[in-house]
Amino acid sequence: MSQSPNRRPSARSAIDIAGGLFLLAIAALGYLGGFNLPVGHLSGIGSGLLPKTLAFLVATFGILLIVQGLFGGGPALERWAIRGPFFVLGAVVLFALTIRWGGLIVAGPLAVIMASLGSDETRPTEIAIFAVALTLLSGLLFKELLNLPIPFDPLGLIPSFLSYAYAGAKEGIAGFFAALKGALTR
Amino acid sequence: MTFDLISNLALGLSVALTLKNLWLCFLGCLIGTLIGVLPGVGPIATITMLLPITFGIDPVGALIMLAGIYYGAQYGGSTTAILVNIPGEATSVVTTLDGHQMAKQGRAGVALGIAAIGSFIAGCVATIIIAALAAPLTAMALLFGPADYFALMVMGLMFAVVLARGSVPKAIAIILVGILLSTVGTDLESGEERLTFGWTEISDGLDVAVLAMGLFGFAEILRNLEITQARDVVRAAIGNLLPNRKDFAQSAAPIARGTLIGSILGLLPGNGAVLGPFASYTIEKKLADDPTRFGRGAIEGVAGPESANNAGAQTAFIPLLALGIPPNAVMALMVGAMTIHGIVPGPQIMTKQPNLFWGMIASMWIGNLMLLVINLPLIGLWVRFLKVPYRLMFPAIILLCCIGIYSINNSPVEVLMTAGFGLFGYAVVKFGFEPAPLLLGFVLGRLMEEKLRQALVISRGSFMTFIDRPLSAGLLLLSVITIVLAVLPAIRKGREEVFQEAD
Repeated sequence: MSQSPNRRPSARSAIDIAGGLFLLAIAALGYLGGFNLPVGHLSGIGSGLLPKTLAFLVATFGILLIVQGLFGGGPALERWAIRGPFFVLGAVVLFALTIRWGGLIVAGPLAVIMASLGSDETRPTEIAIFAVALTLLSGLLFKELLNLPIPFDPLGLIPSFLSYAYAGAKEGIAGFFAALKGALTR
Repeated sequence: MTFDLISNLALGLSVALTLKNLWLCFLGCLIGTLIGVLPGVGPIATITMLLPITFGIDPVGALIMLAGIYYGAQYGGSTTAILVNIPGEATSVVTTLDGHQMAKQGRAGVALGIAAIGSFIAGCVATIIIAALAAPLTAMALLFGPADYFALMVMGLMFAVVLARGSVPKAIAIILVGILLSTVGTDLESGEERLTFGWTEISDGLDVAVLAMGLFGFAEILRNLEITQARDVVRAAIGNLLPNRKDFAQSAAPIARGTLIGSILGLLPGNGAVLGPFASYTIEKKLADDPTRFGRGAIEGVAGPESANNAGAQTAFIPLLALGIPPNAVMALMVGAMTIHGIVPGPQIMTKQPNLFWGMIASMWIGNLMLLVINLPLIGLWVRFLKVPYRLMFPAIILLCCIGIYSINNSPVEVLMTAGFGLFGYAVVKFGFEPAPLLLGFVLGRLMEEKLRQALVISRGSFMTFIDRPLSAGLLLLSVITIVLAVLPAIRKGREEVFQEAD
């Protein structure tokens, strides 16, 4: 949305050249992936026709962009951040790797803390407390209220007395509402 | 005709007004606003994140709730635009111009109020338009053969090219990439695996939610982290929420014009809705007695575009419901959501599932009313929410996104793929492409291939079928004209000016 200031115009447009190369790479992948598929004929199009045609079209535009970038001029390439993408996407990967095995109670705080490393404004104590609170809250929301089949604590990391206390409290509340309902309908 | 309209709406209201559906609509609006108000989280990311919470609900209720989430996210985006000067998505960019200025002058309440009132009026009108147009359009849709459908989608994509920001070749290229991505997975006719590179996880094709979350959820966060945001949450008092008589007098005509412009543009295939607010702002500025007031807190600059925004957001449902063709990225996601609930969008919905169809339309109006009723009193809450620093907000958004994606199919692999598409989306934006047309191409790609194949089978392999059929020939001609106009220097300049208004 907002143009960042380091995009200065120059005789060659690095952003277009890079964009063109990006398209060429995608086209190559698309062509390779559909390489063995039959193209078929017009009254019975084969499964390979569309991927191959599209790959050619994407490549054409890639070359067009490169030519345009070489001679047309335009904005330079924006700088790529490394820290943000590494930690943020790393957090997502970490979540994916741990959710089945350790449940939300492991994956949640890990993802939150890992992601938070992507920003230099993060404060350690604050984020630690926040990570735990957020995990418990989303457990309550997704597991208890919405009944989604997301694993919460398959390793049994929560001390059993806490689980008992929680189960007891839940039953108590349910009992209270049942009693209330009974009293109201009577 | 009129009688039909009333009886249909009555049927819809009888569905939408059940206690359960009212509750779902309310919940959808509330949660949608809650997430949509987060800076940098637009409707697309919001819907993807919240998709799993509708899983346990019956299809009618789920769609009503999703529609509520959508309106909520839209309105939440406007709130952020006014209070923090960060637009949630392209359509609320214009609102930041005068809305945030009003907020700085201590008139945030009035800006939010007029935005809500304008949106409500626009929503009412748009609902009636949808109800009135749905039946004739659906009847028309039955006349469409595969060739015509194909041509219509080509036209939609060409409109999307023209309406995208940036250069025309880049827009076309990124749409083609989207279509290429849609061919990943098992070919429906031959059963052959395409572009999967032997990876069985994607033999069912890529999930639209996974792609959307990567492109719009994660990539957006990566972009936000780069910009050291001077997030100036308005410090001035929110002030009175209700506009005074002078405000109303100034806003009435802009709201009416905005509603009209937005409704018409929203109907266009290829994300016409995005143009509504820009067009409305430009027109109000031209019509104003004193154009210099614009950009300095003119209430017309909030009332008009916000009405256009909401009207377009709603009439965009028409191509989806009547023809089964999503006109923009949000509606593309709605297709995904409907598919999960076993509903195939298209002309047959209205005849086969009138409850669902009219119930959803009626719930649109109720949803708009709810937004007015819940948002204005809760503005204090949204403001407090906005003051949460971004360093806490983005890890929370990441966690919610992960849980959301995981829950769609209980698949950790899909979460991994989302991370991959996050990186891909980051690259797409860095190379100066726009991600929204890519998603549209992705969703339309599958349908287009299917219709192309059908059309060619019927015509026994002759491409003349696209020109022989008057409907398809007309649509293709229109697409060619559109694209030629877009590259003509004079028009191109005008197009840039419209979008420049926001920068």
